[in-house]
Amino acid sequence: MTAVFRAVRLLVVLLVVTFLSYALLSLLPGDPVGQILGGAATPEAHERLRRELGLDDPLLVRYGSWLGGLLTGDFGTSYITGVPVLESLADRLPVTLELLAAAQLVALGVAVPAAVAAARRPGGPLDHALTAICFGLLSTPVFVLGVLLILVFAIKLKLLPATGWTPISLDLGWNLTSVLLPAVTIALPETAVYSRLLRTDLIATLQEDHITLARARGLSPRRILWRHALRPSAVSLVTAVGLNLGAMIGGAVIVETLFGLPGVGRFVVDSIFARDYLAVQGGVVLISVGYVLVNFAVDLAYAAVDPRIRRA
Amino acid sequence: MPRPPGRRDRPDRPDRPEHRGLLRRLGPAFWLAAGWLALVVAVAAAADLLPLPRYDETLAGPPRSGPSAEHPFGTDALGRDLLSRVAHGARVSLGVGVGAVLLGLAAGAPLGVLAGYRRRRTDAVIMGANDVALAFPAMVFALAVVAFAGASLVNVLAVLGVLSVPAWIRLVRGTTLVFAEREFVTAARALGARDRSVLWREIAPNVALPAASYAFVGMAVTIVAEGGLAFLGLSVQAPTPTWGGLINEGRPVMETAPHAVLLPSLVMFLTVLSANLVGDRLRALTDVRQSGLEPVRRRPAVPLPAPGQVHRIEEGALLQVAGLRTHLPTPRGTVRAVDGVSFTVRRGRTLAIVGESGSGKSMLIRSVLGLVPGPGALRGGRVYLDGRDLTGLSPERMRRVLGTRFGAVFQDPMTALNPVRRIGVQLAEPLRVHLGLGAKAARARGTELLASVGVPEPARVMRRYPHQLSGGMRQRVTIAMALSCGPDVLFADEPTTALDVTVQDQVLRLIRRQREERRMAVVLVSHDLAVVAEWADEVVVMYAGKVVERGPTAALFERTRMPYTEALLAAVPKLTDPAHHPLRLIAGRPPDLADPPAGCSFHPRCPYARERCAVEEPPLLPAETPGHLYACWYPRDTGARAPADTGSGTGTDSDGRGLDGPCGPGRPAAAGRPGDLSGPNDLSDLDEGADSRGR
Repeated sequence: MTAVFRAVRLLVVLLVVTFLSYALLSLLPGDPVGQILGGAATPEAHERLRRELGLDDPLLVRYGSWLGGLLTGDFGTSYITGVPVLESLADRLPVTLELLAAAQLVALGVAVPAAVAAARRPGGPLDHALTAICFGLLSTPVFVLGVLLILVFAIKLKLLPATGWTPISLDLGWNLTSVLLPAVTIALPETAVYSRLLRTDLIATLQEDHITLARARGLSPRRILWRHALRPSAVSLVTAVGLNLGAMIGGAVIVETLFGLPGVGRFVVDSIFARDYLAVQGGVVLISVGYVLVNFAVDLAYAAVDPRIRRA
Repeated sequence: MPRPPGRRDRPDRPDRPEHRGLLRRLGPAFWLAAGWLALVVAVAAAADLLPLPRYDETLAGPPRSGPSAEHPFGTDALGRDLLSRVAHGARVSLGVGVGAVLLGLAAGAPLGVLAGYRRRRTDAVIMGANDVALAFPAMVFALAVVAFAGASLVNVLAVLGVLSVPAWIRLVRGTTLVFAEREFVTAARALGARDRSVLWREIAPNVALPAASYAFVGMAVTIVAEGGLAFLGLSVQAPTPTWGGLINEGRPVMETAPHAVLLPSLVMFLTVLSANLVGDRLRALTDVRQSGLEPVRRRPAVPLPAPGQVHRIEEGALLQVAGLRTHLPTPRGTVRAVDGVSFTVRRGRTLAIVGESGSGKSMLIRSVLGLVPGPGALRGGRVYLDGRDLTGLSPERMRRVLGTRFGAVFQDPMTALNPVRRIGVQLAEPLRVHLGLGAKAARARGTELLASVGVPEPARVMRRYPHQLSGGMRQRVTIAMALSCGPDVLFADEPTTALDVTVQDQVLRLIRRQREERRMAVVLVSHDLAVVAEWADEVVVMYAGKVVERGPTAALFERTRMPYTEALLAAVPKLTDPAHHPLRLIAGRPPDLADPPAGCSFHPRCPYARERCAVEEPPLLPAETPGHLYACWYPRDTGARAPADTGSGTGTDSDGRGLDGPCGPGRPAAAGRPGDLSGPNDLSDLDEGADSRGR
């Protein structure tokens, strides 16, 4: 019952978001006809093309027919490039997904041990150092971080390529070197968020009776932290990972631009610059669907983390 | 994910240091950060007046030259002065930052207050819209609007301002919700104050500080977002410089002129960091208990006795606790949770520890086990097991003792088990760790243990999670865990308090049977004197972290010496009480352990207290029954006592009590008042009560 309710709710959110973005794009000044025909075309040519593309129809009708196409898997074909939007997105999606997965892997891989170490002695020197580092990372804009990493690792040390992308299918090793710097750029601020959240929740969990009793049973601090305290403390962390994943599907724009990665974010930005409405709209759908799916996944993850949630 | 700051205390609580030491509480980091922000604002405002080359003057110096006296930040690829460009860029960054915050505040705060104060439908509508806004791809939205509508200062500001509204709504709503529930607001509403005046007078001041804090955090977020847009070329257009744009421009010449990227980055980082820091420190002000980055630390006032003190090991004692102390540093001062407690337990016997809540019973158990909470807590005194001092053991060896020789059961079975681990895993763990059993053997032993504590279908329960069991079952499971490695001493901290009456008896019987079968010693903490009278061989009465009376159960209950013990006994409701008889309580409150009264710590509440009690602390003196000790200058049922005139009989007033005045024979003025200490009538009740409890 609640699952159905949630699904309906998310579907409504999806509809509202796509409609709003559709309306917004239509209302903004500028129009694809001008982009297609260029400055020299006559007003009659404009008029004719508008009618052909169906741009004269009322907003709701256009949205309806676009949505209808969407349901049959037709995202439309770009007015500008003539490439089906779905095809372009399908080309770009693997890059973004790999980037996000690598970033989460790095962020969690650093944040979890750091939080566990800090929570062991709250207020200790390690905890203080971690707090300061996290605060600094949270105050560093992602493009500043990316530029610094390029300066150090690509230009000074010449360890990694500054820009460019090698697909997995071409060469795994090169693929990994090309994803490493952008992934770390995304991961560092997230590491700060994750480790702060987890540290706080761990400290709260460590006050609980079952932890005192685990200590009374003579179990080692390491075992208690990793096996007893970590899982019950992970709910906020799971939420944060979900929110980040949801936001990042479209939000890796800056990092993709900075490192020259052909991802979804970059595609959307390029389409915006080109006034390629259908492409932008397709990107928005992909991002919103991603958000909704991540929401579902987070709900499943809650149940995996805490068996008490499974009852519902 | 910034959490909406919650406030725990009313700001006008008298004991809160309100303005005193505000400067110090904010810390030097706050003032440094605020100073940097002020500097950036000043430079941005006066950018045209400063003696700098114009920001768009090319070849003001040699291109790509590093910092010099003439150009403190160096020059860019076109030879423009970078300091001038950074200073003008600050106008855009700060303008957008401040403008967007004001816009978000103006739109978000009223909606948030409305949602939090009105609740119901208004709340549902506003929060529903908020949900949609969250799912909306904000960055794409910002990019699209700026790209299509034109990259001007006003457009960037408007977009970022609108995008910040949902966060403002959530923050203000959350804070309003907290305060709309508080007594002083509900009282004002009930008294018929108009909503508008309630909002302005009661809620607005309380929302102001969290909002001020978030204003700075929101400014930091906006400056970063504007920087991102500028970096993509979608903020204010050239020739006006922006910080993000400067960093982007510097990228191609990064190899030869890294300063062109590094210095604008540094300025931007410091500004964002400062805004975040100011916001964080302001938020910390709203939180009395935890002050953000720099928690308050205090050292204990009294150094604990140095180790090396030798105690006489009592004959036949399995567990001997000698002069045990636990002092916890808190912001209010050192709490003497356990203050010099001694007792012994023999094999096969039960020792009960009684006292009101807050008398230090549970802390005593944790202290004996060496599980003192938190950093900075200090433990003194000795704990001997079979004559061996445990306080000097290494953590590893102490864990061995904890695992194999001690067992512990706590009050609340709901919190005693790890909610996310199966019963079987939890039960098998100590067996595997301490007895080195394999997975299979440990499971088999665990199932046996469950059966032995009376859990039906133990094999099925092994696969369950704690939340799937009843309270009584869970307490049986925790007892099984405590017994798993065959302990010599079982510590049971109010093991039945959280259980149904019918289950209580079963659990106590179970503990007694296990004690007899395993020849264990049991240390039973309880505030239920009926339970103690029935199950314990010896009783320790605790008050304010100290032992005030101890002895064999019968002697202690029948020939009570200490007035506090007497009051505890009198507070037990009796079946012989008439219906609707007011419950007897001990007048007054337990003392503040951070600031205990001088002399006998019970004297402010004691109807028999006299001058000496407020000055001199009574030692533990022997009564006529061997092993019965009490700490009182004027004990009950002995010639030494002459009740004082308590005057008003409030029972809590410590000043002037019993200093003068004739005493009525054996009749304190407070006697006979329900809710006060017992008079002679209650003494006769006491005997009956003890008899009936003896069963």
